[in-house]
Amino acid sequence: MNDARRILDARGAACPEPVILTRKALAEGGFDLLEVLVDDPSSRDNVVRFAGFAQCGVEDVAEEGSTFRILLRPDAGPASPRAGQGERSVQPAPEAPGPLSAQGVTVLITAGGIGSGDGNLGALLLRGFLYTLAEADGVPRRIILMNGGVTLAVQGSDSLVNLKRLAERGVEILACGTCLEFFELRERLAVGRVTNLYEIAGLLLQGRTLSL
Amino acid sequence: MPVIATFRSSHAALAAERSLLGAGLAVELIPVPRQIRSDCGFCLLLELAGAGAPELQLLDVLDACGATGRWRVVETQADPASRKVKHYERCP
Repeated sequence: MNDARRILDARGAACPEPVILTRKALAEGGFDLLEVLVDDPSSRDNVVRFAGFAQCGVEDVAEEGSTFRILLRPDAGPASPRAGQGERSVQPAPEAPGPLSAQGVTVLITAGGIGSGDGNLGALLLRGFLYTLAEADGVPRRIILMNGGVTLAVQGSDSLVNLKRLAERGVEILACGTCLEFFELRERLAVGRVTNLYEIAGLLLQGRTLSL
Repeated sequence: MPVIATFRSSHAALAAERSLLGAGLAVELIPVPRQIRSDCGFCLLLELAGAGAPELQLLDVLDACGATGRWRVVETQADPASRKVKHYERCP
């Protein structure tokens, strides 16, 4: 196999110069293999690490005297078996449940966190739960926010980004108007719309509701 | 490119989030994807624009924050109508 090879001599260059030169060379292209020469172990490590992030295969890393020779193959991906670099992500565990779906469900959230015990942990869990819902294959029909739950949908909330993602996927976000007024947050509502107890009661009584 | 950093504990992940947000970096604390095994249930999702000096510093900061693993997020899409599927490749 005749690979077009380019040699990049970055010996004597101080960090992060070798990485910058490597990035530039990879961007220019026009070769099958890029041989990078550096004379410093941290430069070697940084170039190898950069290759991983640049989705570039590391064919070989060799030490010859005071020179380190790194052989990179663009577009080969990071998991080059010859160099033992990288590792494919593991497959889902056999016991993992099937695709997540909350399709058609109404989710009722009545607090700024999940459960009792520790408030910070509860907030973290709820934030993670909303992220997971936003990533699920099937999203809920709607999310109703009551009491402390309305704080999730206002400016500055950690969960706002996930509620917006859900709204973009067609999930109706409904915030209890009485609750917003109680907390004086009505002006800060940043996603969804304000609703009242008549509508909330009607929606909770029809179809499946998941209450958090 | 999106990168996920895993941590030994939720406390470490939260502390790293605080440090990185405090440094003005856009990071997101998310549950660890099912395809990744980690000691802790939460990880950080961040965007690496490229691999210049600031990104390498960011990687050093992650190491200093106690990150135990780094994964590149790769999105694939079977056809334009279907949802993107995420895969995770371990970074060196």
